[in-house]
Amino acid sequence: MALAPMIHPLDRHLRTDRIPTLYCPGCGLGIGLGALLRGLQKRIDEGLISPDSVLWVGGIGCSARLTFYVNYDSAHVLHGRAIPFAVGAKLANPELTVIVVGGDGDIAGIGGNHLMHAARRNIDIITVMFTNFVYAMTGGQVAPTTPLGVRTTTTPHGNPEPPLDVVRVVSSLNANYVARASITTPHYIEQYFYKVLGMRGFRFIEVVSTCPEVYGRHIGLRDPVEMYNELKKRVIYKPRPTLEEAVINWEKGIVIGEYIVRDNPGFIDFLKGGGR
Amino acid sequence: MKKVFASGNIAVAEGAMTAGLKFYAGYPITPSSDLMEYLAEELPRRGGVVIQMEDEIASINAIIGASNAGAKAMTATSGPGLSLMAEGIGLAVITETPIVIAHVMRAGPSTGVPTKTTQSDIYMVRWLAHGDYIIPSFAPWSVQEAFDLTIKAFNTSEKLRTPVFILSDAILAHVWEPLVVKEPGEVEIIDRKPPKSREGYMPYLPDEDLVPPMAPFGKGYKVLVESLIHDEKGYYAPNNEKYRELVTRLNVKIIRNLDWLFEYEGFFLEDAETVFVAYGSVARTVFALTKQLRNGGIKAGFFRPKTLWPLHEKVMRETIKGRKIIVVENNLGKLAMDVQRIMCDRDVYQAPVLNLESPTLKEVKEAVMQWL
Amino acid sequence: MAYALSLISKENKKYRVNVVVDRCKECGICISVCPVKVLSKSTILNKNGYRPPDPVNIEKCIGCRLCEYNCPDFAIFVEVVGK
Repeated sequence: MALAPMIHPLDRHLRTDRIPTLYCPGCGLGIGLGALLRGLQKRIDEGLISPDSVLWVGGIGCSARLTFYVNYDSAHVLHGRAIPFAVGAKLANPELTVIVVGGDGDIAGIGGNHLMHAARRNIDIITVMFTNFVYAMTGGQVAPTTPLGVRTTTTPHGNPEPPLDVVRVVSSLNANYVARASITTPHYIEQYFYKVLGMRGFRFIEVVSTCPEVYGRHIGLRDPVEMYNELKKRVIYKPRPTLEEAVINWEKGIVIGEYIVRDNPGFIDFLKGGGR
Repeated sequence: MKKVFASGNIAVAEGAMTAGLKFYAGYPITPSSDLMEYLAEELPRRGGVVIQMEDEIASINAIIGASNAGAKAMTATSGPGLSLMAEGIGLAVITETPIVIAHVMRAGPSTGVPTKTTQSDIYMVRWLAHGDYIIPSFAPWSVQEAFDLTIKAFNTSEKLRTPVFILSDAILAHVWEPLVVKEPGEVEIIDRKPPKSREGYMPYLPDEDLVPPMAPFGKGYKVLVESLIHDEKGYYAPNNEKYRELVTRLNVKIIRNLDWLFEYEGFFLEDAETVFVAYGSVARTVFALTKQLRNGGIKAGFFRPKTLWPLHEKVMRETIKGRKIIVVENNLGKLAMDVQRIMCDRDVYQAPVLNLESPTLKEVKEAVMQWL
Repeated sequence: MAYALSLISKENKKYRVNVVVDRCKECGICISVCPVKVLSKSTILNKNGYRPPDPVNIEKCIGCRLCEYNCPDFAIFVEVVGK
């Protein structure tokens, strides 16, 4: 690898020859990645996680391309199939710290079946899903999380479909950890990620993100600062919200916090014969 | 080495374990389910992992993940399942991931007849995913050969960093025959080339044999598994230079090894005027017919490719000397198209015989009589 | 293949704010989230044609790092220089 300079404190975690990223100005993904890397840095400094063991897996989409930029083992695989790839890698080598990154369409749309079963099995991987309410990379088509009525490129007369609340779905399965954060509060992303790096089982963090170029264009918030501030206004933080409070609604508010925190035996524990 | 009585499915499973299989992810589908069931029993005892995934798409992606994490991995399926795995096969091709897929063919199209046989999928395993590539496939005709060719399939996948198919079928899967199970020390096992050093490691930088050394996850190599067209570092390279380089290399690395890859068997070919070509379970019936005709004074010969792709055209042209060639298959004529192309200066006849239980001797004889 | 990254660096007695000029995409978030208005858009153009922020009011900087945490492009970071 090219000897790239370490200027920014997070540069050691980045393939700096690929920075600047392909992301649009104001894209929440960069903020999210920075927060994740800070959480990871802390665990590496503590000696809990060895950098060699870290594996990032992404499907297809802007969020999944975070795998381009991390200076670790990474895999950029098929749309919606990051989770089964991660499951195979983790079961073949349980020492790996496996982190799946992807968008709401990739993980909860086409990848929905895999998400459901990985959560059901309580597979020992971390999944970070960046929700921007649209399929951004392909130009702005409707996504399973797009609010009702929004005009997207494939719903030009207004989205007729009620959106999916992924946090509610995953919480109804056996996951050990379900949380929602927002790129307007990167310290919570860092805090939650730091926490899950020390846990077992299926850990899921939804990160609500800004997409000024595509989703912002659909809802009239093209300016990065304006979209950031509008999202910030709607984010309501509750440390341990209940599932009834798990609203993710541009009108009613977006409730962030930790929904499920438990320490049930993960799938690896069951495979090893313990975990009753 | 031990001699057992086993089915085709069990032979494939045992061959895989001898070759070093450590991870199996699959989905139940007739007639391959008992292959997974046998491994679910045996593989954990030998330190491996078996997991039944939620569908075939998850299965193929899981074995690609496992292989990149350092484990030899396989799955087994049939027509409908393999159709779902198409995208995953393409991923294995471009990421140069060694995996083995046992395709236990069953009558189609679509749901077809789950418990009965066919040979109609030999082109499916060639061209399943989109793009330009060459994926090797092997077609055993006996339980012993299912064992041996499975080892060959694993060796091929590791040596050339490619997915490889084993083509079995509903008959071979469940026929029981004596099997000599060889242990790893008794047979050649090839493992993927490890990289020489971590410094300057590039996941897709090939050696002279056009195959890049493969580092697993978790050992500090900063591996980058990439499904987009990429350069040696695995970085996205949407330009003609890298695209041509990558796609060409993915194909040439396979075709260079044609002599090693192409296995076949011939009988009575030296003076044959009419040569029968067949493969897989149908070949047994055709071989019986060849012997019967020879006994009756007809100069019949028999050629059986064990490797169905890539085909060694030079070897085929030199070995099959007969004027008349009759290709007998349990499909509407597939390998026959290859043979017609390769032996364009001979008289090649197609003898497709569809039979859910595999063509009988009588049926094959009736089908070919007109040309003898 | 080492190469230099140019920085705009300004410091007060306690904190130094560094802007990695060529990584900035002029999204404006750092300028907006700073609680004491240290940053404003500079007039220089970086190599991609964007105007990076300039910590003109550096004496006001309290080292909260909101700019660093909210930058999507690893283009700004804060160092502690004094006690």
